[in-house]
Amino acid sequence: MKYRNPRIPEGINVSDSHPLKELLILAGGALLLLVLLSWLLGQFGGRLARLLPFEKEAAMAPVSLLRSDAGSDLQVYLDRLGDRLGEQMDLPDGMLIHFHVNGNETFNAFATLGGNILLYRGLLERLPHENALAMLLAHEMAHIAHRDPIAGIGQGLAIQGLIGLLLGDPNLAVLGSAGIYTQLHYTREMERSADAAALNAVHDLYGHIGGAEDLFRVIRAQREYSGDSEMPAIFSSHPLDAQRLEAIAELAQERGWTTTGEATPLPLEFGRWMAEATARATDAAGGDEPEPGEATSPSYLPPHPHPG
Amino acid sequence: MYSLILFLVLLSLGYFIGQIAERRHYRSILEREERLNSLPAIASRHPPTEPHYHQALVTGSTVVSVDYFKRFLAALRNLFGGRVTSYESLLDRARRESLLRMKQQAKALGAAMVFNVKYETASISKGRGKTIGSVEILAYGTALIPPRVR
Repeated sequence: MKYRNPRIPEGINVSDSHPLKELLILAGGALLLLVLLSWLLGQFGGRLARLLPFEKEAAMAPVSLLRSDAGSDLQVYLDRLGDRLGEQMDLPDGMLIHFHVNGNETFNAFATLGGNILLYRGLLERLPHENALAMLLAHEMAHIAHRDPIAGIGQGLAIQGLIGLLLGDPNLAVLGSAGIYTQLHYTREMERSADAAALNAVHDLYGHIGGAEDLFRVIRAQREYSGDSEMPAIFSSHPLDAQRLEAIAELAQERGWTTTGEATPLPLEFGRWMAEATARATDAAGGDEPEPGEATSPSYLPPHPHPG
Repeated sequence: MYSLILFLVLLSLGYFIGQIAERRHYRSILEREERLNSLPAIASRHPPTEPHYHQALVTGSTVVSVDYFKRFLAALRNLFGGRVTSYESLLDRARRESLLRMKQQAKALGAAMVFNVKYETASISKGRGKTIGSVEILAYGTALIPPRVR
């Protein structure tokens, strides 16, 4: 008997499909699915979270952050300005806003759970006049009026739950970014509507919106100074500075607002208040308080830890 | 954003280098298969009894691991189901390479053919399958070496 191996044609055990084509179809499908599901779950999570009564939310506030370095004069001034803005914004009954000033040089301000707004000296001291400060306060107050901090947590949990469930495989972790960018899309929406509501309040308070846009100029200047280039819009939680300035101009035109007007100066003592806050923060840092860097980015904060 | 860039760099590196390596390997496989075709590998368990062949165990083993691109593609496939085509060519190469190594060993022994050829596969990523993903493919058989003519 003669033994031999026949020549077997190629391509029987290997599929004749182009790997790049397969990658496009599979990755495209997975991305589409993720974005769609993240969007739906984000809607759902956000809506659900907003149903939580405001009083319950107050109990979840990050207490460790709520130390204020503001002297009583600064506190009274901020509270009063906040009250005046609040009247224009029709805040729901029982929605109390608490301002806290942190004396360190971080350039930031954000709204968090329970109606708490954190303002950092690094941002406050760069504001040129009261109108820019009012725009900042009104923007953060609008986040609270819209229940954005709690909605952000709801969306985050829902979307991250989805990602965890679908993408247990670490090889697919990169697809999780699709969910995160969908979440950023929500965040940007929140920012835009907070900008609009804040502008409305500033207009009603001062009769014009002159100076309000200086807030964004300050933010842009700081960004250029610190050498941070702006991320492309899709990666950023906030609309780009230029887009925000444009949106302001558009809104003003649409509603026929006066865009120029004399800005109200900050109180004469404002500089001294800032120095006092700095001193208090330095004293506190000498004690057993957390380092300034640590206090600025706790992981459980809603996604608003950015300027503006 | 930087992790995304890193991911794309790894993915394209995996793709291009993997493609080049695969094409080169297939060329070599085809060439050696042609050369060793005169030494048949037979699955049968009943070797010819005449003449009185000397017998020896011959083995050929290959360990393969997937590249970044193929692994990502396979992980995506896990979401939707279906044929994991990105692994097919990899395993095809490994099987053929193992068989060739076995035949090479047999040839070195002066064998005329190899009988009772079998394949064995072992995953050596034990418990870390999500991060490593390597398999060994072992081909083994009984080499039949013709008796020396005196």
